[in-house]
Amino acid sequence: MTTTLIPAAISVEHLTVRLGTTVALRDVSLSVRSGELLAIAGPNGSGKTTLIRTVLGLVSPDKGQIFLAGVPAGRLSLSARARHLAWMPQEELPGDNVTLFEYVLFGRHPHVPRFGGESAGDRLAARKALDEVGLGDRAGDRTWEISGGERQRLRLARVFAQSTPALLLDEPTAHLDMAHQLEVLERVRRLCHREGSAAVTALHDLNLAARFADRVAVLHHGRLVADGPAAAVLSPVLLQEVWGIVADLREDPRSGVPYLIPRLPPEAPRVPFRTPPLRVHVVGGGGSASPILRRLWERGFFVTSGVVALFDTDHTTAEEFGIPVATEVPFAPLSDESRTQHRRLLVEADRIVVAPFPVGPGNLANLEDLVPFAGRTPIFLLGMASWPHRDFTGGTAAAVRDRLVAAGARSLESPDDLLRELEPSPTSAGTDGAEPHGAAPALAS
Amino acid sequence: MPGNPTPGTTEKLPGANTQPRRRLRWISSLLLAGVLLGLLLLSPLIGPVPIPPGVVLSIGVHGLTGGALAGSACSSVAVSARQCAIWTEIVWQARMPAIVLALAAGAALGLSGGSLQGVFRNPLADPYLLGLSTGAAMGASLIFVFRIGLASAYLVLPLFAFLGGLIPGIIVYWAAGRARAVETLVLTGVALSAFFSAMLAAFLLVNPLGEFQVSFWLLGGMAGATWGRAGIVFGGVLIAGGVAALRGRELNVLQLGPDVASSLGVDGRRVARQLILTTTLLTATAVAFTGVIGFVGLVSPHIVRRLVGPDYRAVLPLSALFGGAFLASAWDLAQVVVPAIVLPVGIPTAFAGAPFFLYLLYRRRTPSEGPRT
Repeated sequence: MTTTLIPAAISVEHLTVRLGTTVALRDVSLSVRSGELLAIAGPNGSGKTTLIRTVLGLVSPDKGQIFLAGVPAGRLSLSARARHLAWMPQEELPGDNVTLFEYVLFGRHPHVPRFGGESAGDRLAARKALDEVGLGDRAGDRTWEISGGERQRLRLARVFAQSTPALLLDEPTAHLDMAHQLEVLERVRRLCHREGSAAVTALHDLNLAARFADRVAVLHHGRLVADGPAAAVLSPVLLQEVWGIVADLREDPRSGVPYLIPRLPPEAPRVPFRTPPLRVHVVGGGGSASPILRRLWERGFFVTSGVVALFDTDHTTAEEFGIPVATEVPFAPLSDESRTQHRRLLVEADRIVVAPFPVGPGNLANLEDLVPFAGRTPIFLLGMASWPHRDFTGGTAAAVRDRLVAAGARSLESPDDLLRELEPSPTSAGTDGAEPHGAAPALAS
Repeated sequence: MPGNPTPGTTEKLPGANTQPRRRLRWISSLLLAGVLLGLLLLSPLIGPVPIPPGVVLSIGVHGLTGGALAGSACSSVAVSARQCAIWTEIVWQARMPAIVLALAAGAALGLSGGSLQGVFRNPLADPYLLGLSTGAAMGASLIFVFRIGLASAYLVLPLFAFLGGLIPGIIVYWAAGRARAVETLVLTGVALSAFFSAMLAAFLLVNPLGEFQVSFWLLGGMAGATWGRAGIVFGGVLIAGGVAALRGRELNVLQLGPDVASSLGVDGRRVARQLILTTTLLTATAVAFTGVIGFVGLVSPHIVRRLVGPDYRAVLPLSALFGGAFLASAWDLAQVVVPAIVLPVGIPTAFAGAPFFLYLLYRRRTPSEGPRT
């Protein structure tokens, strides 16, 4: 390996840093070579910024060493360091009423001789850097006249103008919209791959890190827990351990790059408001039941659903939450088998909810099968207002609906109304015992 | 780039905006230099004793050329030799050193104010508001109060003033490293100022001095002006101006904050230490001979920034020029406002400066200035 003979642009060895009483970094060894884009990932407080500040010399390590192009950083003067290493912090003062051009020109400071002014070359470099980030036509504006995202790109331009072989970027995409996030990282990557710069980039967004970085280093409580190509580093186990999230890791078919879809934590812990939890069955289809299923599941109800087609959104949602569901194959009328399955769930339900699903001849049975339960189990019909738009049976379904209503089924507008019905608030405790349907308590037991 | 150019903002070239600034620098410099020259020539005419302008002029020329020109100082009018000697004494030994001292001290304060505002990244920094001036006055007054007896030696007075100014200087340097809010630094200055004022007043009252009165030290004046003293302050301005000029570009970078400045190769602490030390020395030299004069250091850099933009390489020298013109004008005003009485020079500077200070304090809160911090 000949490459090992060339010293890394930045390398740290066994770095331990204490900030006050907390240990911010523990024995971290890491290096980045010329032409390489390294992403540092990790949750808030994992030590990413501390690592960057330590490399810069703003924080002194308790143990360990820092090398810039093979030279111990301590041996370099401040301006020699500034010619090797540029830094984009998370926050930065906008300067004192300067123009964007003057601001970017500050990046040339380490290259300007002490007894002289900025040369034409310095001005050209600043101009080019502004063009790089798409702010070339605003060079004469003042720094306080631009938006937060533009200021972010301006700071990046200042770093580009510094023309150093190594860059430290702390959350360079933090205030940017999606298009600019991609553009900025693409530019940094090009700087590395084409011009041989070395970049260390703290990134919160793991998908961006996986997509743009050659390597991802993961910090957790100040320890380096992984370092390597994104595909090798990112794993469900790591995500669970470091970030405490459950995520689906997929692979982008176009690039082969891993990307992850984090699962949302439930809004509130699943604590049923009574034990055993009330059993609620939701009749749905076409995605109409999904929001209701999710809300009920989060509130701690024992939820069931049916009959929905395989691959229907409602089916996917039910599977996601482990909700028992009666299933039919797609685009087929409800079979006897699925209806039997459905009836079994209906019998055990304490409450039945009818989601605003589109009714056609194929799934009319979903409504008809409710008729025997009307008057026995409380039934709630959601979204009556939209009925005309989703009745594709020529009025047959409406007739079934009317029979349900006649037998005591209640009409509700939103899932919120439904939750209020299912979870009587403590203040309305007086009406608690007055079940709308006398038979319900008997069935519930 | 998906840019949406707004109508009116056509192609802006780099430096397109800095070019007029550069021209403004030259215009402002020439303008200020002209004002200074005018003040230098006209101010000796002003004073409680009426002296014919022609005589003043010939005394000036006579003195400046060492007697080679303008023969006898009072040749233009028929006066007794005794009268001429008195006039010569007044113009050459009092009025002219006074105006030169006012110019030099004003320059010293303007330069100090500009440097401090740059170092602290705080538009409200000023040797008077931060307590440096009062500390210096307290230090200088020690000589008289305790009759140290070396007051006549030129450099002893500034040295004691410097030692007195160092106390608030160090405290303020320390406070600036800790306090992030703009107001904290100013309030620290207010506290220091009040403390040293009280100390100074107490010294002077316990030990009343004929010549050096409370009002001189607290509000300033040119009564003690001599050519030698004016020369010392002027030399101080040149030296400190040189130091500050070398640090101008670094001061510009420091406005991005000490950490970013460090990543650009600027040692913020070293620059701050050096400039605070220089500024304290410069302020102390001025205060030692003129007493405490407020607001010159605050106002000058602000007006200069309005004229030429934020580049400290231009702001610092022009603040010195402006400060000189400001204090010299104030001195002229102090002599003519009330007939036959010379006011302490701090009164006109405060009348002009205090409203300006309030304006700055409140204007900063309006969004037009844009985000700062």
